[in-house]
Amino acid sequence: MKNIIKYAIILLAMVTGACSTDMLNPVPVTSLGELQAFDNKDRIVGQVNGMYAKIKDGAFLAGRFQVYNDVRADNFLPKSTNLVTNYATWNHTVVSSTNEVQNLWGAVYSAINAINIFLEGLDAKWTSGALNGIITEAEYNQYKSEALALRAISYFSMLQLYAQPYNKNAGASPGLPLRLKAYKTGVENDMARSTVAEVYAQILSDLNTAEGLAIDKYSTDLLNTTRIHKNTIIAYKTRVYLHMNDFAKVKAEAAKIVSANAPFVAATGVPFALSSTFAAIWAPPYTSKESIFSMPFTSTNLAGTQNSLAHYHHPSSSESYYLNTAAGSTFTKINDADARKLLFATGTVSGKTEYFCGKYPNFTVQTDYAPVIRYAEVLLNYAEAIVKSGNAVTQQAVDLLNAVRTRSYPGGAYTLADFANVAAFQQALMDERSIEFLGEGIRNMDLLRTLSTIPGKGGVSAIEPNSPTYIWPIPTTELNINKLMTGN
Amino acid sequence: MKKLTLFLICILFVGIQIVNAQVKSITGTVTSKEDGASIPGVSVQVKGTTLGTVTDMDGKFVLSVPSDAKILVFSFIGMKNLEVEIGNQNTFAVSMETDVFSVDEVVVVGYGVQQKREVAGAISTIKGEDIKLMPVQSFDQALQGKAAGVMITMPNGVLNNPPVIRVRGVNSITSSSFPLIVVDGVPVFTGDQSANSAASNALGDINPSDILSMEVLKDASATAIYGSRAANGVILITTKRGSGGKIKVNYDGFIGYTEPYNLFEMMNSDQYVEHKNRALANNPSQLASNFFIPTDANGKPINTNWADEVYQTGFQHSHAFSVSGASAATSYYLSLGYIDQEGMIKKNTFARKSVRFNLDHKVTKYLKVSANLNYTNSLNSAPNTGSLVDQAFNTAGAGRLAFVLPPNIAPYKNDGTYNIAGSAIGNMGQPVANYGYYNPVAIMDLCKYTAENDRVLANLSATLEPVKGLFLKTAYGIDNLSVESISFQTGLTGDGYSANGSATNTFARPNRWTWTNTANYDFTVIEKLNIGLLGGVEEQRTKYNSWSGSKTNVADPFFTTYQGSWVTAGMGGGTQYENYFISYFGRANINWDKKYFLEGSVRRDGFSGLAEGKKYGTFGGASAMWNISNENFVKDGTLGELFSDLRLKASFGKVGNMSGIGSYASMFLYGSGVYGAAPTWIFTQAGNPDLKWETSMKYDIGLSFGMLKDKIQVDLNYFKNDINDLILNVPQSPSKGIPGNTIPMNIGAMYNKGFELSVTSYNIAKGDFTWTTNFNLSTVKNEVTELAPGVTEIVGITAGLETTSRTLVGYPIGNIWGIETRGVDPTTGRRIFVLADGKEVTYSHENPSASRWQYLEGGGNAPAPVLNKDGKVLGSPLPTLYGGLDNTLTYRGFDFNLNLTYAAGFEIYNGSKAGLRDQRWWNNTVEVYETAWRNPGDITNIPKPVFNDNVSNGSTMVISENVEKGDYLKVRNISLGYTFKKLPGVLEISSVRLYAAIFNAYVFTNYTGSDPEVSTNGNSNLTPGIDRNTVPQARTYTFGVNVSF
Repeated sequence: MKNIIKYAIILLAMVTGACSTDMLNPVPVTSLGELQAFDNKDRIVGQVNGMYAKIKDGAFLAGRFQVYNDVRADNFLPKSTNLVTNYATWNHTVVSSTNEVQNLWGAVYSAINAINIFLEGLDAKWTSGALNGIITEAEYNQYKSEALALRAISYFSMLQLYAQPYNKNAGASPGLPLRLKAYKTGVENDMARSTVAEVYAQILSDLNTAEGLAIDKYSTDLLNTTRIHKNTIIAYKTRVYLHMNDFAKVKAEAAKIVSANAPFVAATGVPFALSSTFAAIWAPPYTSKESIFSMPFTSTNLAGTQNSLAHYHHPSSSESYYLNTAAGSTFTKINDADARKLLFATGTVSGKTEYFCGKYPNFTVQTDYAPVIRYAEVLLNYAEAIVKSGNAVTQQAVDLLNAVRTRSYPGGAYTLADFANVAAFQQALMDERSIEFLGEGIRNMDLLRTLSTIPGKGGVSAIEPNSPTYIWPIPTTELNINKLMTGN
Repeated sequence: MKKLTLFLICILFVGIQIVNAQVKSITGTVTSKEDGASIPGVSVQVKGTTLGTVTDMDGKFVLSVPSDAKILVFSFIGMKNLEVEIGNQNTFAVSMETDVFSVDEVVVVGYGVQQKREVAGAISTIKGEDIKLMPVQSFDQALQGKAAGVMITMPNGVLNNPPVIRVRGVNSITSSSFPLIVVDGVPVFTGDQSANSAASNALGDINPSDILSMEVLKDASATAIYGSRAANGVILITTKRGSGGKIKVNYDGFIGYTEPYNLFEMMNSDQYVEHKNRALANNPSQLASNFFIPTDANGKPINTNWADEVYQTGFQHSHAFSVSGASAATSYYLSLGYIDQEGMIKKNTFARKSVRFNLDHKVTKYLKVSANLNYTNSLNSAPNTGSLVDQAFNTAGAGRLAFVLPPNIAPYKNDGTYNIAGSAIGNMGQPVANYGYYNPVAIMDLCKYTAENDRVLANLSATLEPVKGLFLKTAYGIDNLSVESISFQTGLTGDGYSANGSATNTFARPNRWTWTNTANYDFTVIEKLNIGLLGGVEEQRTKYNSWSGSKTNVADPFFTTYQGSWVTAGMGGGTQYENYFISYFGRANINWDKKYFLEGSVRRDGFSGLAEGKKYGTFGGASAMWNISNENFVKDGTLGELFSDLRLKASFGKVGNMSGIGSYASMFLYGSGVYGAAPTWIFTQAGNPDLKWETSMKYDIGLSFGMLKDKIQVDLNYFKNDINDLILNVPQSPSKGIPGNTIPMNIGAMYNKGFELSVTSYNIAKGDFTWTTNFNLSTVKNEVTELAPGVTEIVGITAGLETTSRTLVGYPIGNIWGIETRGVDPTTGRRIFVLADGKEVTYSHENPSASRWQYLEGGGNAPAPVLNKDGKVLGSPLPTLYGGLDNTLTYRGFDFNLNLTYAAGFEIYNGSKAGLRDQRWWNNTVEVYETAWRNPGDITNIPKPVFNDNVSNGSTMVISENVEKGDYLKVRNISLGYTFKKLPGVLEISSVRLYAAIFNAYVFTNYTGSDPEVSTNGNSNLTPGIDRNTVPQARTYTFGVNVSF
């Protein structure tokens, strides 16, 4: 028996000696622990870029969000009936469980939480002094402004599809759950929807705070187009206020970055201006002074399968959308000499030549930048606000409209006399927007904010503003878990 | 077989003699009555004591016995026990008789071996012999119906696709329910290791011919020694070893062919054009013109049967060669295996080369070393079959393309080139602008997916016996796996079209070492009181490393590999993690006179994946057994004549499941990527520092008995598994933005309970004729009793697209969920759907969207049925009854085996049927052509065809029309063989067996899909029983030979 015990002890000693506490506490080598995320400036900048990467999700601003807002409207017809490539969005048959509805919601809120986690972490570290010597106060302000602006863009984008337009009833409709804190654990699943007006208030609060903290400009054109600075925020505010029909505010914001007379430029900060040619906007390096905010791509950082704008617009794609050329369509309103028409690509569909939006020509490697907002839109937002706020067509408004129009179609300049009334101007302006922003995801937003009927197309009926399919439903996944959530 | 088993006893079974005064030395020889050959390894024991020895290689023994010893007992596996009076004799010449009704006497248990009749736990043994000739890729595919309580499902006919294994039901919700597989003491990697469409089951690297036995440990008593990995059951694989006597040389070979069966009968071109144009007439705005039948280059009408383009008759051959033997001190087993199989799907192949060398050597009287060395190379190749997990809706999926594509277009254009238009198949002038789906001939010809495994599975052990009966063993084992996955997608068409071709190579190295140290001591304290003790320490470290490279935009279509010239280099990826177990375990068993048995085991596991302070968990089990047949009142009474064995058993214990705990699951993590060209850090994992093991309380009551001298052997068990602290990836409101929208938490409970019956009956053994029956039957009832607070259901999604399943409290896990439908309204030909309020609505696709849904009663626009609101449970896909029936008959040299498996009491979601009836341009079954509604008054379950209607037949949401009973009885295997025994001496062949067999011969079922044994979602717990666009099962015919020298 003694021997047995002896051997057992030897054995045990041999084994326990080998047991390593290191092996029991392995550290991941491809991920970073929470505590190390603010260790140095590069990592903090990495987190800032991470927020941009989140809004550049394939289901969101890398392409699909723009595509949803185009194909819901009237300018496009699908080559494919594949439900994965937004066919249900196109023919207004999405339901709560449709992938588009669930995926966009998930992608945007995932971005919002990533932003909130960064904001909370940054503020806590800054307040505690842990970032002393790592970043400056200016940098702290800049990162915070970027985060807030990205949150505003995220909420604004979601409102376009999941909530009734503000203008329907001054935002009294149900909006979105306003998630403004960082979520890391399994609690607080339930949150009721704020009203549309409340969400807009939050968006404006974030944008206004961000504007105050923002950097004036970056060192390179690439950063000026792909990161947020003061003028980006101002430009985006013109869009937000326009969606609220707050024309005075649109004018006030636009005036900060649009000179009084042509050629229109931003006098301070990043000197926004229209690109001299329309085609140049869509060619590398994609960072013209007109491209206020775009999502960048490289061959190693793409939008993902069936997400890119090229996938939805290039004639070589089997699942792309071609232009609706029916009578009365936007296509019929473009002059043959218009540079924007000359940019159209053509392809064969069912043995017939059809036109495609040519803004995203790189099909093999889909690295064409995805636009979020361009200076042309600011000018047209400004023009619309001027006319609607004063209820009169002015020369300044016509000039702004002409700046965009004649860049591509020099022979198409309007004069004040062309517009018998405000409605005529508005019609011309809306047509111009539809032409100018084809394939950039603006059309559906324009229809909804003006409470217009979504016109029918290719066998799909028109959708009236009072139709239940005027906006998307709330996704099943949210309704299942968030007990305070209500459907549309 | 006998000798091999014996060998295990010799080496591993631990018996000890308490040495008393020795008075007399006796010697003897033991031979076989049948052929007079000497038998090594026979146990020779003085009756009523533990004194004994075993015969040597020549069948001789020497034994010192006390002077008062009266009777010697000779026992040997497969032989009848023999008792011989000692009297005054000093030498013995004993002749033993074969026992045809013998049961294998030992059972491999965790870290040891036990006498079968002393095992109180629920363990099923399957012999390697029973499976080695099956034309499968991995042994687990051959276990269907072989053991009570073990449900095996082959997902489909894709080669080397891992089967679904469930031991006593589904034992987890979001963790794995796959059992722990231990090969010769080393826990091995399982699951599909491939990074692409070529499935590569890690268990396919083990040559089934090398397997001696497989033990399935089911209850807590048997599994608790595996602690935190025991909840799903444990399968112990023991490989063959050399045994005494003559050197044995074996060759097993077969050739065979395989083909799909139960393919769908699809419309031909005439039927298709007629049917689709009829549908188009009901919704004319959808296309500009009608469908037509074009002609081919020879002027004949095109009529393509796409299944012919996807499936084939595949040829296969297999060779297994082994040499084994032993000298007094050394035994060895050496084998070579080669199998080369073509699947029923074109371009689907499996080839495995394996070598195994098992060695045992007795260095000294007290030290033995053993080594197992297994090297395998497995090459898997497959097209995109659309039949692996998450592939169901792939537009490249061969299984789907075989039935979705219309017959009036052809794989080739009339000029002989592929019929392609961009990524998709060309329309050949048909009015459909873009079919979207790929040309299967082109992509199967031009794309390539392979996964090649190189695997070294080895262990080395030394066993020291410092004191008689005490064995100290140290064993070090490795499972070093390397998997190279190669995929090439052509740029001409298909998935690679938009990128102008792509090539991705992935290299993965899952590596593991396990170091086990055990002390084992069996002894008899006083007469009749036997005690066995086991203590051990085990460490296991797993490292996973993978990396990949991806290139797109081929420089010249000449290049078809990653190494070729490409314009665009993609960013490579990869995965790295490591984890570590440190475990302490022990077992004690005690029995009184082989009548009353008690056993207890305990294991304490530490696992690196858990948070600091929560790393350790303790598990254990206990059992009691009463061997009634060893009681004198049974032995000596009439009961004893009836019952040769009668044992009552009970066990309970607590075991764990760690498979759901990732290596870093407790941590909050940031992952890095890029934004354009700028590096990023993003919050990627909301960890849970409170995470701990899932635990199961397992209870078991069993009765084992043998009747009529063991002619009938019966095991009956009742079990209950209460699973608590389930790790649920608790769904979070998506608006919280938690990565993945789930957080793993220990919440929720579930149970499985049921009966298991297994019967072995030697029905007839008269003269030249024997008939043996094995039957097993299992029932299992599963119920989820608790989910997370506020979470009433977990939604199960098939292949990322279709919401098919829902797990609800009070129901079995993974119910099929959808909208109830009530046939077709005979008046209008519209499918009748039922809303939550019970109102019936019909669907008319050609109407404007606002008026598509109409109330059946009284008309008027109705709301569209919504899964969330109007859905209900349509069935449970978990069989409540299953098992197998195996009959073997032999007559002289002939042997015949019929193996049946069955399952009942479950439903399948026949999602493929939604596609087969879809009224887009998709081809439909002939049933649709013949029975779809045409005129008022038609009674049918297929609605009026309206072109582009994808709702009425269930493509957009699950409908009860497509949920069917899955009950089946399957003829798994039929074989007929003939053995030549008395061969001319010059050949020196001891026997040759020739046989023919059919695997997956036939299915009896009312299920209308191709096979009720199906799992589109593989081993998923939450979405079982889904049949969506998958290829069918394969039937295989083999002709083989087994030669023994």
